Amino acid sequence: MKPAIIVEKLGKRYSRTSTQRPRTFMEAALQGFRNMKPEAEFWALQDVSFSIAPGQMLGVLGHNGAGKSTLLQVVSGIVRPDRGSVQVAGRMGALLDIGAGFHPDLTGRENVLISAVVGGLTSREAKAKFDSIVAFSELEAFIDNPLRTYSTGMQMRLGFAVAIHTVPDVLLVDEFLSVGDLAFQSKCLDRIMQLKNNGCAIVLISHNADQVRTLCDQALWLQQGKTKAYGDPEMIATRYIGNMDLKAQGQALHNYSQEIRIEDVYAIRDDGPARSIDSGASVRFVIRYQAEQIFQNAIFSLNLSDEDGQVVFNTSTGGQKYNIPIWEGIGEIALVIDRLDLSGKQYYISVGVHSPDWSKIYDYQWQRYPFAIHWTPNKDSILNPPRRWEIMAKGDRWIPLTTEAIQLSE
Amino acid sequence: MYQRIQSQNQKISNRQIIYYCDLLWCLVVRELKILYKRSLLGIAWTLLNPLLQLLVFSVIFQQVLKAGSGINHYVSYAFSGLLIWGWTQSALFQATGLITGNRPLIRQPTFPVPILPIVTVTTGLIHFLLALPALAIIMAVDNVTLTWNILLFPVLLALQFILTLSLAYPLAALNVTFRDTQHTLGVILQLLFYLLPIFYTIHDRNIPQWLQTFYAWNPLVILIESYRAILLDGTFPNWSGLFTLAVIGGLLLPIGYQIFQHQSERFVEEV
Repeated sequence: MKPAIIVEKLGKRYSRTSTQRPRTFMEAALQGFRNMKPEAEFWALQDVSFSIAPGQMLGVLGHNGAGKSTLLQVVSGIVRPDRGSVQVAGRMGALLDIGAGFHPDLTGRENVLISAVVGGLTSREAKAKFDSIVAFSELEAFIDNPLRTYSTGMQMRLGFAVAIHTVPDVLLVDEFLSVGDLAFQSKCLDRIMQLKNNGCAIVLISHNADQVRTLCDQALWLQQGKTKAYGDPEMIATRYIGNMDLKAQGQALHNYSQEIRIEDVYAIRDDGPARSIDSGASVRFVIRYQAEQIFQNAIFSLNLSDEDGQVVFNTSTGGQKYNIPIWEGIGEIALVIDRLDLSGKQYYISVGVHSPDWSKIYDYQWQRYPFAIHWTPNKDSILNPPRRWEIMAKGDRWIPLTTEAIQLSE
Repeated sequence: MYQRIQSQNQKISNRQIIYYCDLLWCLVVRELKILYKRSLLGIAWTLLNPLLQLLVFSVIFQQVLKAGSGINHYVSYAFSGLLIWGWTQSALFQATGLITGNRPLIRQPTFPVPILPIVTVTTGLIHFLLALPALAIIMAVDNVTLTWNILLFPVLLALQFILTLSLAYPLAALNVTFRDTQHTLGVILQLLFYLLPIFYTIHDRNIPQWLQTFYAWNPLVILIESYRAILLDGTFPNWSGLFTLAVIGGLLLPIGYQIFQHQSERFVEEV
C-alpha cells in the first residue's frame, strides 16, 4: 500500500536573530533597519526520514528540545521544511492546539460547531456529529453555558472530543495523554486506536516509552534534531528507557520526591572501601538509601562519567525487570562489576532511584561521588580491556609479542 | 518541499468549495457573536457609533464651523461618508492584528490562513449593510430621491471589498514583523478620516492645490464620490473613476495576497 506520509531527508533551520533586533517599526527606523538579518542559525531537524502506511502508528521519542514538536509542525505543513521533502496523502487532523478557535464568551455548543468547521468539517458534517462529540466529552449538562464557566479540564475534554471527530486520514498527536483524568485518557486512546484500525496513519509524540512500545508499529528517536534510532518500537523504547536517567543531568535544581533518598554511594575493593581502583580490577558499588515507606518495587540506576560529563558506563535494574522490594528505613543495594576495564582517570558516580515505570524520580544525584581509576599508561583512551599483541610468524603462525627476543630462524 | 496529495476527484473539490464557504460564514458569525455577546444593546452598537459621530459632525461642523455650507443633504452626506469609510477603517485596523491575535488558528494544520482577512472585511461589510436602514431613514427625512442608479450599489460594495482586502493582506503580514504596525496604522487611519471628503466636499474653493492633487489620485476619494453619486445625487458615477477603481483593485489584490502568502511561511515561527 502507498504510504500516507513520506518524509525524506527532512531538515528545518531556525534563525536566531539578534537580541538587538527591532520588534517595532519605530525601533527599526531609529536603528536604520540594521540588525534585521539573523545572526546565527541552527538546525532544529536534520536528515530525518520515515514513512508511515495507512493504519500504522509512528511513535516519536526524544527529550525536550530534541525536535519532536518541530517535526510535527513540519509534517502538518504549518512550517516549511528547509531541506528534504514531506508528502502527506489525504485529509489531515491534529491534536496539537486543542480547542483552536474556542472563545470564552461563546457557549460550549457554539464553540463545538465553530471548532469542528475550523478542524476541517463542513457545517453539515459538524451538525451531524454534534451529538456524538458532546456525548464523547460527557459535557451534555453544560453545553449551553459560556465556555468561560468551564474548568480547564472541561475545555480540554471538549477540544479533544471535537478534534477526534474530524475523521482524518492522517492524525498528528502531541503528548495527548497529559490531558484530562485517567478514564478520559483511556477513552481518547480507544478512539485513536479505532481511527488507526480504520486506516488512519498516526504520528504520536510521547515522553512515555512504554506507550510507544505498546501502541506503535514504528518508533523514531530524535536527539538534537537528528535520528538517533528508527525502527522496531520494542527495541528503541528499551534503549530510550535505558538512556532516561541521563535526562536528569540537565536539571540543576534537584526537586525530586525524596520518598527514597540516596544517603551515600561508595566503592568496595577486595580489601575494603576505596576511593580508587586499578583498571581491570573488580569492584562493588554500594548505594545506601533511606525509604520513607515500603515500596513494592523500584529501579536503581548508576552511571560513571568523566569530568567533561561524558558518560562512559550506564546501567540500571530497569532493563531486566528485577523486582526490588524496598523496606522502610536504611537499605543498601550493590552493583558488582567483575572487571572494570576503563582507562585511568578521575570519574564520578551518578545514581538514581526511580519508580518501576520510570515516570517518577525519587532521587537523583549527578556526579556526587568521585571515584578514580589507575592505569599507568594513561593515554587518550576510554577503555583498557585485557589485551595482547601478536605477530604472524612466517605467514602461518600467530606468536604473542613478549619482551624476549623471538627466534627469527628455526 | 511540502506536498499534500488529495485523492483528487470532482466530488472532493466541490466539498472543498462548500467547506471554504462554511468556514468563512462560521468565522464571520463567530466575530459578530463575540462582539455582541456581552453588550446589552447588542447589534444596536453598529448603528449607535456612527449616529453619535454624525451628531457631533452635524453640530460642530455644520453649525459651528459651517463646513457643510454648499452641500445638499448635509446630514445624509456626512452619514454616508461615515459608514463607507467606517467599513474600510475598522476592517484595516482589525485585519492588521489578525495574525498576531489568532495564534491557535494559524497553528491549525489544515486551516487556510488567507481566509482571515476575508473574514474581517466580510464582517465589516455586514455591519455596513446592517446600518443601511438607518441611512435610508435619514435620507428619507432629508428628502433625497433615489434613482435607478442605486442598482450600482452592489458593484461599489464589491470594489470597496476588493480594495480593502488588498490592503488588509500586506498590513496583516507586516504586523508580524513590526508589532507596532497596528498602532501606527490607527494614527494614519485617523488622519485619513480628516483628509478624505467625509464631512466636507472636495469641491470647496478653500481647499489648497496640493490637497486637490491628493484627491484626484486617491482611489478612496473616487470610491466615496461614486457612492454619493448614486445615493444622494441619483446620477451615474464617473465611468473612468469606476474603471480606475477596478484596475487598481485588480492589480493590488494579487500583489497584496502574494506578499501575505510569501510571509505566511514565517507566521508560525514568529507569532
